[in-house]
Amino acid sequence: MTSPYRPEFEAGLAALARVAERMKAQGCLPPVLVGGGAVEIYSNSAIITGDFDVSTARQDLFEEALREEGFVRPSGPGKATRGWIHPELKLGFEVVSDQLLDGNAERDRVRRISIGDAGDITVISVEDMIADRMGQYASGTAREMLDQAKALFRLYPDADRDYMERRIREETAGDYGIDTLES
Amino acid sequence: MASIRLKAEPKAITLEEFGRDVARRIESAGEPQVPRNSGTRRTASKRALLKAIEAAGGKW
Repeated sequence: MTSPYRPEFEAGLAALARVAERMKAQGCLPPVLVGGGAVEIYSNSAIITGDFDVSTARQDLFEEALREEGFVRPSGPGKATRGWIHPELKLGFEVVSDQLLDGNAERDRVRRISIGDAGDITVISVEDMIADRMGQYASGTAREMLDQAKALFRLYPDADRDYMERRIREETAGDYGIDTLES
Repeated sequence: MASIRLKAEPKAITLEEFGRDVARRIESAGEPQVPRNSGTRRTASKRALLKAIEAAGGKW
C-alpha cells in the first residue's frame, strides 16, 4: 500500500529523518516535529503545511545537518527569518523551541515513525498536540484551533485522557479541559 | 567527562502503517473536518519563511 500523505510532505519527512539520524549519530536526541506538520501527520494531510516546525535543544547541530541536506537560509531585504528552505524540495524548517512545549510535554510520549531508508522521525504526542491547539485557542487569537483540537480528539479516542486533561489545563491557565472538546 | 545517557526512544512504526491507522480513525470518526490555521499567530520570521517558500515555487 502506498502512503496516504502527499509526496511533498513525505519528502520533508524524509529530510527530517536524515537530519535526525545525523543528530543521533552525534549523541543527541532527535528533533521533535511539532505544529502544523504534526497535525498533518496525525490527520493524513487533512491540513497541509508549508513548513515544518521542530523542537530541539541542539539548534546548532540541527541547522548544520540541514545545510548538509542542501537547505539554505533566505537572505535579503524582507527575508529575515530563523527558518531554512530547500530550493528544490520547496519546503522549509524552523526551530521553534529548545524544549518540547516549554518543557511541559513529556518527552517519553513522542511517536517514532520510520521513513524508510531515510531513518526515523519523532513526532510530538497527540495529547500534547491537542493541548497546544487548546492553548492557542485560549489565547483568543486563533479561534480555529478549537476545531483542530476537537477533530484530533475525535480521531484519537484512545488518547491518555488523564494526561491530556492535565496538559490542556496547563496550556490554557486552567480555563479549559477535555469537557470543552466533548461539548 | 560525564557521559549523557539517552533514554530509549519508543519503537518506530512505518509511515505506511501509521497512515493506515489514521485512515481507519478518520473513517471511524465520520471524517471530521480539520480547519487550516488562519495564520493570525504567525511570527515575522514565520511569515518571511513562508514567503521564501512561495517564492521558490512551493505551494501548500
